Amino acid sequence: MFITALPTIAQMIGANRVLRGRAITAPTGDPSLAAGEEAKLRRRIVERALEMLSTDVGPLTAWEVSR
Amino acid sequence: MSVTGASHKYVRVVRLLTMRRDGGCEPLELASFDVAEVVEGSAGSWSEGSLTLCLRDLTEAAKEGLPALQDLDVRVVRPGDPVRIAHVLDAIIPDVKASAPEITFPGVLGRLALAGRGRTNRLTGIGVLSVCDWAAAGLASPQAFPDAFVDMAGPGRPMTAWGDRPELVVTCTPKPGVPVADVDRSIRMAALRVARDAARATINRPPSAIDSFDLAECVDAELPALAVILQVASEGPLLDTFLYGGPVGGIVPTILDHREVLDGALTSGAYDWAAVRNVTACYQQSALIRSLVAGHGESLRFAGIILALGYLDTPFDKQRSAMLSARLARKLGADGVICTTFSSGNSHTDTMLTVQACEALDIGTVAIVAETNGGLTDHVPEADSIISTGNHDELVDPWMPGEVIGTSDNAMAGEPVPLWAYLGACAQTGGLALTAVPA
Amino acid sequence: MIVVHYLNQFFAGLGGEEAAGLAPARIGGAVGPGRGLEAAGLPIDVTLTCGDDFFGEHEAEALALLLSWLGEIEPDVLVCGPSFGSGRYGYACGSLAREAGRRGIPVVGAMTPDNPGVLAAEGAAYIVPTGPSVASMRTALPTIAGLAHRLGGGEPVGNPAEDGYLPRGLRKNVRVSEVGADRAIAALLAKLSGDVRTEVGPAFDRVSPPPAIGDLGSCTLALVTEAGCVPQGNPDHLPTRHSNIWLRYPLRGVGSLSPARYESVHAGFDTRTANLDPNRLVPLDAVRTLEREGQIGRLHAFFYTTAGVDTPMAVAAKFGQEIAAELIPAGVQAVILTGT
Repeated sequence: MFITALPTIAQMIGANRVLRGRAITAPTGDPSLAAGEEAKLRRRIVERALEMLSTDVGPLTAWEVSR
Repeated sequence: MSVTGASHKYVRVVRLLTMRRDGGCEPLELASFDVAEVVEGSAGSWSEGSLTLCLRDLTEAAKEGLPALQDLDVRVVRPGDPVRIAHVLDAIIPDVKASAPEITFPGVLGRLALAGRGRTNRLTGIGVLSVCDWAAAGLASPQAFPDAFVDMAGPGRPMTAWGDRPELVVTCTPKPGVPVADVDRSIRMAALRVARDAARATINRPPSAIDSFDLAECVDAELPALAVILQVASEGPLLDTFLYGGPVGGIVPTILDHREVLDGALTSGAYDWAAVRNVTACYQQSALIRSLVAGHGESLRFAGIILALGYLDTPFDKQRSAMLSARLARKLGADGVICTTFSSGNSHTDTMLTVQACEALDIGTVAIVAETNGGLTDHVPEADSIISTGNHDELVDPWMPGEVIGTSDNAMAGEPVPLWAYLGACAQTGGLALTAVPA
Repeated sequence: MIVVHYLNQFFAGLGGEEAAGLAPARIGGAVGPGRGLEAAGLPIDVTLTCGDDFFGEHEAEALALLLSWLGEIEPDVLVCGPSFGSGRYGYACGSLAREAGRRGIPVVGAMTPDNPGVLAAEGAAYIVPTGPSVASMRTALPTIAGLAHRLGGGEPVGNPAEDGYLPRGLRKNVRVSEVGADRAIAALLAKLSGDVRTEVGPAFDRVSPPPAIGDLGSCTLALVTEAGCVPQGNPDHLPTRHSNIWLRYPLRGVGSLSPARYESVHAGFDTRTANLDPNRLVPLDAVRTLEREGQIGRLHAFFYTTAGVDTPMAVAAKFGQEIAAELIPAGVQAVILTGT
């Protein structure tokens, strides 16, 4: 699956499992957070990615990180 | 009481009466004055299609009080002249507020006043083109501002809206050492002055036509209500759009009256990719507004215009703006919206997100975008109805102009020119009749 | 009619993988599949060949040489391949087709529809769809010969269905009678009454989403990125834009991408934030934590990287197929790909 801050472009080129990343400059992080909070965020992003990989989806599906 | 005194009292009473109509202000009267030929003379005048201009007066008035400009030149070019105008920044339709010229282009040139009201005199069939070679002035790298052409003859002539009419070309040379934002502000003021002052020749002359762009209030409620989400962008000096003279950066989607848009409330200060640039004239002459007003009460109801930003920085900002645009469209009662696009690149993502947000509220959408050699820049499944304004990577045949205005470099003379270099050639506000089809 | 045939090193009979680094060469007459084309009625005048690896690693040089020969020979038609399912060969065929097409030479190719060469050709070639292996050779050759004969003779070619080639996806600008605004209003009114029309749509190929991973706890996951993440100093010189390579780096014993040992060389975004913590691009630390907890079976021993800046679609597709070709035999079942 594909983590990117621009999920619409990913869908346009045919990516079927897309997770909206945090920012273009840091798809799996956030420098505005304290280190501990950022680690929790990255863990949540990866958990959500794993959730997407273990879920049957229709074509061109894009998810958000927050539930 | 003298005859003069009685006239004054009568005029004052009439003025009070007209001011009380329409909530205290007069409705827009856009009076058109056709220009079939431009003659250079010692004073400005207009008579039955013939416009006489004093270029010296226009030039002096344009550059007055603008120390950021080292030099400014106004000249006329005509269709068929073997001229390539390069480094074009903006195209402006000459307008003047006939009874109050000082509020023409309010906020950016004129003093602040609401646009879209009162009498505006417009010269039709002529444009004002501002020109400045930023790179030669050391104010930008050559890569930052690719070429921007208007050809008055040759294969490139039909590519823009400007090759088939006379143009007043306002070429500006910045004073060295002045910050680029100050230079740009001066260039914009100078060009708008030329536009306004050229139009002054029409004051008190009988117009070719008058349009009001009023929308009848009692129309068939069964007709579908259509709105426009007009995308603009504001990324700093040289990449900006101005609403009443202030940059639109930071705005949330907002409603504009269509008559404001036609009457100088929006001006351009954005100079990247020429073909998909929304010049000031594209707001003044908006084909979308004209056609929606014409169709109001016949095949549709014109629900209004929403101004919204493109090129927002983060996915959150993009999605939020799309959502707020869709929310306003619903508030306007729109059954459908036309989403325009500003320039190339990630603004197309803003367009697509806006399409998604509207469709999610059951508002049907059509998007207007230009294509590239790589196809569409962005797409979402909901964007199932797209109007293409052509592929701006397609090449236009080479041409050797007799003269190049606006630069000392060779301006691609003799080489094939990608369509992206021609001013407004693929503008994504729908003013031209270019599109792309399967080959 | 002058016909030139392009083949890779293998089909030109110059060797297998060990010959993939051969520079372009010129051979008189027909070679290998070229003889099959002759039997199908298309005499071959010159065969040009290039090693697939040479082309991939020295594309500009290879193209310059091949195009200069084409310029001397001035063929009426060029046939490239068939390259079947071979991504490197297909990419070379498609790239040569595109450049020859730009110089006015009609081109026929033959490969699988999802071969990156189709994208590389950018519509310049008439590409006959084939199966992935040489088993398709017998059925492909007559179609290729027929198309090439028509093109070389200046005869008109029918539509894709009639003449057996893939739609070329080309667009051309035309001026129509209505301005875009009026077409937009008409399209919107039509859509609101149930008639959806469009002037343009997305051109990209679609694959069905693979089924969900049943048991993450026994799954092998790999990390791939286009964010240009490389060891500090970019020791293998990953290009920062227009990359023609992807790279693979070991992750055995690496629990996190430290800023001292890794950086991003991507020219398309501001890398300062990411260089303070490269896990912001490739979330290795979080994946390792979840691996330790048993949420996934294991992380693949390598991560794969390129810098996706001005990368043509065809090249990206080629990279994807090549990386997948390594991951599948290694038992990888899922990939987290990060992009900027």
